[in-house]
Amino acid sequence: MALLEIAAVTKVYGPLRALDGVDVLVEAGTFHGLIGPNGSGKSTLLKLIAGAHFPTTGTIRFDGMDITEMPPYQRARNGLSLKFQITAVLTELSVYDNVLLALQSAETSWQLLRSSSRLRLDDEVMVALDRFRLADRADDLAGELSHGEQQWLEIAMALAPKPKLLLLDEPTGGMSPEERRVTGELLEPIKPDCTLIIVEHDLDFIKNICDRLTVLDQGRVIGSGTIDEIERDPRVQEIYTSRV
Amino acid sequence: MGVATTRGAAQARKVRGSRKLAFRVLPVVELAALVSLVAAPFVLAERAALVTLMTNIVILSLFAISFDLCWGFSGIMSFGQALFFGAAGYVVALVGRDLDFSQLLGTLPLAMLIGGLLSAALAAFLLLGRKTPTSIFVAFGTLTGAYAAERLVSGWHYVGAGNGLSSIKLMAFGGFEFVEGAAFYSVALAALVLVYAASRVLVRSQLGLVLAGMRQNEERLAFFGYRVQVFKAIVFIFAGMIAGLSGALYSYHQGFTGPSNLGPGLSTTAVIYCLFGGSGTLIGPVLGTVAIELLSYVLADTDAIRQFWPVILGVVLLVVVMFQPTGLLGLIVSARERIGSFGVRRGAR
Amino acid sequence: MNGTDRARGMGRRRFLSGAGALTAAGWIAGFAGGWVLRPRWAHAAGPIKMGIATDITGAIAPSGNANWQVAQFAVEQINAAGGILGQPIELYLEDTASDPKIAVGNVRKLIQERKVDVVLGGITSAMRQAIKDPIVNRGRTLYIYPQLYEGQECTKFLFNTGPSPAQQCDRLIPYIMKTLGKKRFAMPSANYVWPQLLNKYARKVIEANGGEVVFEEYYPLDQAEYSATISKIKDGKVDCVFNTIIPPGLQPFVKQLYESGFQKNGGVLSCVYYDENLLNYHPANEMEGLISCLDYFQAVNDPFSQTLQQGYAKKFPDTKYLFTAGSAATGMYRGVKFYEEAVKATGGKLGREEVAAALDHAVLSEGPGGGAAMVPGHYHAKMNMYIAVCKSEAGKTRYDVIDKADMVDPREC
Repeated sequence: MALLEIAAVTKVYGPLRALDGVDVLVEAGTFHGLIGPNGSGKSTLLKLIAGAHFPTTGTIRFDGMDITEMPPYQRARNGLSLKFQITAVLTELSVYDNVLLALQSAETSWQLLRSSSRLRLDDEVMVALDRFRLADRADDLAGELSHGEQQWLEIAMALAPKPKLLLLDEPTGGMSPEERRVTGELLEPIKPDCTLIIVEHDLDFIKNICDRLTVLDQGRVIGSGTIDEIERDPRVQEIYTSRV
Repeated sequence: MGVATTRGAAQARKVRGSRKLAFRVLPVVELAALVSLVAAPFVLAERAALVTLMTNIVILSLFAISFDLCWGFSGIMSFGQALFFGAAGYVVALVGRDLDFSQLLGTLPLAMLIGGLLSAALAAFLLLGRKTPTSIFVAFGTLTGAYAAERLVSGWHYVGAGNGLSSIKLMAFGGFEFVEGAAFYSVALAALVLVYAASRVLVRSQLGLVLAGMRQNEERLAFFGYRVQVFKAIVFIFAGMIAGLSGALYSYHQGFTGPSNLGPGLSTTAVIYCLFGGSGTLIGPVLGTVAIELLSYVLADTDAIRQFWPVILGVVLLVVVMFQPTGLLGLIVSARERIGSFGVRRGAR
Repeated sequence: MNGTDRARGMGRRRFLSGAGALTAAGWIAGFAGGWVLRPRWAHAAGPIKMGIATDITGAIAPSGNANWQVAQFAVEQINAAGGILGQPIELYLEDTASDPKIAVGNVRKLIQERKVDVVLGGITSAMRQAIKDPIVNRGRTLYIYPQLYEGQECTKFLFNTGPSPAQQCDRLIPYIMKTLGKKRFAMPSANYVWPQLLNKYARKVIEANGGEVVFEEYYPLDQAEYSATISKIKDGKVDCVFNTIIPPGLQPFVKQLYESGFQKNGGVLSCVYYDENLLNYHPANEMEGLISCLDYFQAVNDPFSQTLQQGYAKKFPDTKYLFTAGSAATGMYRGVKFYEEAVKATGGKLGREEVAAALDHAVLSEGPGGGAAMVPGHYHAKMNMYIAVCKSEAGKTRYDVIDKADMVDPREC
């Protein structure tokens, strides 16, 4: 059974059909890329998986559960993690506190009030920061980081609770080529434990890290398969030459 | 892989710990305030009216703190804190009148319970509905609650209607009855210290980190797995209990309670105290209450100003909100210190 | 002796004639802005401190200011004659602002800061109830309440020098019913204790004389719209409105009643707190024909009352705050004089136990409208009661006295 099953999902905003009968299967332990021209519905689909919006019709099943109408906080508790396009680190908190916030999210209010995990999580915070090369910035405010570092911080926060599925929406936006390379390196190690769905415009980046791709155009899936298969698919070639 | 990262983490920690510790202002301010408040009744011994004034200031500081917990720490713009303040005040007056009971070990917890129950009811309605409420909705909801309560009580004969309840049975501890003076002041100050300590623990805990995150980006926190509205409700109820405690003490101290103790007017006063002193700091609202009440006392005496004092207060608040939105404390406390730090080692600033 | 300056005791909260003039006249600025007058001839034992707590601002201000002026007038007379047993009276004022919430805080200052020996004041019953606790209970101070009210105030150390319901209603209502022939009563009322208890008493008298109360209703103090009430009055064929609405709702009610033609059609408006000061509340034509029963009207022309009015007019020329009975001013005068008598009887001792004991049977041989005598053990005073009808002429009102009863018993406590 696939980790994530999107079945016949349609999303309508008034006269606009953002998604139309989309089917996607994502297997556990894979890196799955979501590509397509502007306006093809990639971000919308990601938001539906995340729970920011809900589909008009269709179902989404995650790890055996129907999460179609599930509120976002519950999806997070079930192992779904995400990083949106717009950087959303908490700029007035320190880098350390940002990660701590991500790590302690499974606890009850009473546990949080007693600060019962503060000591225990200290190691985990530093390990997470170290992995993303931010350990020496731990006490700086998140707002003081460069744009690229903020993206890494956010990925670190998204990965900190050891999710089963990570959604990334354009994680290399605004990064230099060197930063992109580092991002790819940082993401590689999560593979066996965490599945990744990534929306990206940078096709080279996608080709470097993804196993499978799904191509969307105007709200419909026009191709899905391995990188090779997609590259050779004439329909995909057509939309990328004629409209990109 | 695991060993390598832990070694890296250890090295990272060394780097982190080597940063200098910047000077923290808030503890100094808090200590100074505590010392002043403890010393006050001794310094003011013969001036009974000033001890009475200080007692009121201490009681109203509690009220201001209850607002700060809502707004300064949780982003809840509550224009209805007086609802809990006034309701508890009425309840202790009625318990004194109809049940002839005023033992503080019974009535003060009762006041907190009333504040907690009312705020829980309001939270259930305003915060925990199916759709996430906007802050405008919460502001209006609390404002309406306070307004409705004031009108309800103004027409209800059992609670004295428009004229309120007077000759409230004196707060008692065993056989000792508290009138205005150093004894009452001590009770009020003890309440303030306890509430302050509890609030400080709350806002500096890991739960406080969640609140700090919520203030900056509520939506994002939901995606981490936090039920944001539940946290808001928790703080709102805690703040409601504090407002209730404050209202009961005020009722006992003044010997009088009326509809205006429930309404939007007094609720807004809590907002003013808090914003003037500096919200989001706990000691800021205390300072704001002290400053405004002392100024009121001294300046309102001067006949020329007396009629304009409310206007002056309004203008001062406008100026503060526009040019110094972090209040008096914002002049000496950095934003970083105000928001705070939540890890095990609060290293550099 | 400069009696005028000496008696003009200035409270911390109110200047009537400018701070500069006070400094020139020998006033010393006290701590936190207060003003104290130290008469040069005060004994070592210290002057007698009298606190006045009344409504200088707010809805009841016209009556409150009359109280304050009469207090100054009476104290000035006493001080001009050498004080009480050689001790001058120092007057302190706190504004109760027609708001019990503010009053409680301000009255506390009289007790705690000024440490006065007696407090006189409060006008509405709500105010009295709010401030009596800080004065009598927490403040352990004597309290004299000068206004007509609903009775049943039998608190130790609280003396009432205004008329009681019995004094006001026992002759007035039979007069309205028998002499004026009105039998159908409406009772529009403010929603608090004075109207509730007064109405209860009045209803007894009305029904005992064969009359009927068509309706009895209570409104919030600030209600401004009375068309429903006026309709009820019309539909119920009410011929006497026994009003207990007070400001700020009073003005719109009387206006709307007058405009509905009630008085034109022969209806009688009766209100037991109406006096000459009410010109400050209404235009004169709305008051024509109004009937009231009080312990004094300016039309009462015994020599002492006239001397009082002349003296008051001399001290406060052209003031709009008249020395009248419905505004507690006569009760204030009586209260000050009763206190003087009591302190004389204790030989100058000011402790509240002794003064209260003496006050309990104090007698005034003269006063506005006649003398008065405290009924021992009953906290209330006998006084003359007058029934009067209001006549308006060229925009001015006056009361014509049509009945007098001597030394009526208050029948309280």
